[in-house]
Amino acid sequence: MEVDSQEQLQRKQSTYLSLDENFEIQKEVYRGQQYSQIYFARLHMMRTLLYSLVPNWKSHLPVCTVLELKEGKECIIFGTLYKHMKLKPCILDEYSKERSVAPLIKPHNFMHQDDYLVLEDESGRVKLGGTKLSPSVYVTGVVVALHGKETSAGAFFVEDVLEAGLPPQIKRPLKSREDKYVVFVSGLSIGRSSSNPLQFQLLVDHITGHLGDEEEQGLAAEIVHLVIVGNSVEISRGLLNGQNLASKDQSRLCEPFKELDILLTQIAASLPLDIMPGSSDPANFALPQQPLNRCLFPGSTTYNTFRSCTNPHCFELDSIRFLGTSGQNIDDLTKYSEAKDKLDFLERTLRWRHLAPTAPNTLGCYPFTDRDPFLIDSCPDVYFVGNQEKYETCLLKGLEGQLVRLICIPRFCETGVAVVLNMRNLECHALTFGTQISS
Amino acid sequence: MATPSKNMKAFYKQKKKNPTGGISKSKSSKATKPAATDIAQLPHGVSLDLKDDDIEEEEKALREFDMNMAYGPCIGITRLGRWERAQRLGLNPPKEIEKLVKSGKVKLQSLFDGRI
Repeated sequence: MEVDSQEQLQRKQSTYLSLDENFEIQKEVYRGQQYSQIYFARLHMMRTLLYSLVPNWKSHLPVCTVLELKEGKECIIFGTLYKHMKLKPCILDEYSKERSVAPLIKPHNFMHQDDYLVLEDESGRVKLGGTKLSPSVYVTGVVVALHGKETSAGAFFVEDVLEAGLPPQIKRPLKSREDKYVVFVSGLSIGRSSSNPLQFQLLVDHITGHLGDEEEQGLAAEIVHLVIVGNSVEISRGLLNGQNLASKDQSRLCEPFKELDILLTQIAASLPLDIMPGSSDPANFALPQQPLNRCLFPGSTTYNTFRSCTNPHCFELDSIRFLGTSGQNIDDLTKYSEAKDKLDFLERTLRWRHLAPTAPNTLGCYPFTDRDPFLIDSCPDVYFVGNQEKYETCLLKGLEGQLVRLICIPRFCETGVAVVLNMRNLECHALTFGTQISS
Repeated sequence: MATPSKNMKAFYKQKKKNPTGGISKSKSSKATKPAATDIAQLPHGVSLDLKDDDIEEEEKALREFDMNMAYGPCIGITRLGRWERAQRLGLNPPKEIEKLVKSGKVKLQSLFDGRI
């Protein structure tokens, strides 16, 4: 068979820098500490930041702590928000004497119109009143500055609120770039009965250039990186019922990993790839999730292009900063607050400068003592979240000229959609793989 | 607080006289040791009372450090860890506390550790 073209297509390359060190917990030692330490670190870092923003906001007002509040005195207070939610599941409900008709199926959202917000700092807490701060928007764990005064009822009437806002962004050098693409895919859910291996194989073939003519292959050669954003495997719950596993069940347990490894080896042989753990992957439960163990991927780890990463994951490609999670933070926000779409939640976490404000309240989190690794110091250029229902994207513009591409990556197992980002202009499009053969 | 320091010393002195009473955690064995080794380390002519006062001063200063809200919660973290965290967060904790904690003669953790 004659080879069509004499020249070999070279894949483009980009420089990679991992910034996951902040999310690693190998150096942490657990000494029985509680979450008060991480809340203190969060409050201190955010308060220092907000304090520097106050002169531009309302310079004429005095700042005081919650305990120093006096009735009628207009001032600014800093603190962490706590949202009291009537429907939030509480362990004490099991012990309550009166058994109300509690629904067995948990609602997907725990909001109630009686929810109220409380502001807390080291000295005390105060209930918040007024209509400026909507309990449906905020969640426990957000640090804000509030302008208002104490009422006779002992609550704090909020007149204005100051959020940290988008963090500063490091300007990228505006050199004329060529088209280089990054592909994001999440929710492969290999091992689920409804997952279609052909779909992912099609994606792999497309990326590695085994599909299509020269033009297609040329496009594929411009893909420089692949990020797998969590939930790559799904272990059938039927096997994990507390009984000892028979040897045939043990091999059934490993099948999804073998399948994933075969596919990942094909990819790793072709281009750099990052794999992040998700909620259904065999990684630790609490955020930050640690990288999936290399022994799960005996074939792929032989390639240096294969990288197992933390969740959240932060890295730079050609000095463009990417930051994203496998979805647990946004899913938790969906349960405890509301917004018109998921991109709104993404934007809020950026404005609050915190990846997962509900951690450790309702989202599992490691009890750090000296820092809060989820604080966002520098604005990313691309901010993504995986395992969402549908593909959504928008370009967020900040007040100081920051430009962020927000991406919601859909679950590939259900939608067959991967997301492709052009690093030259931060434009995004979807790549859909269908396997229905029309009759 | 407007308590005269003499009263504070007397208050602490009462506790010191009975180092093993009420404390059942093994961590506090460090506290019981100074009483025995101090006697061995006392140079000639220096009375036991004076040495006790020195320990009290140090422990008093450390307890002030523990209770200071600006440096965050004191439970679940060693005093040195808490000092280093305060240093890293730019809170400028007093250098004397660092020397005291690193000297090894005082308790590594706050009074409440192990009890709450």
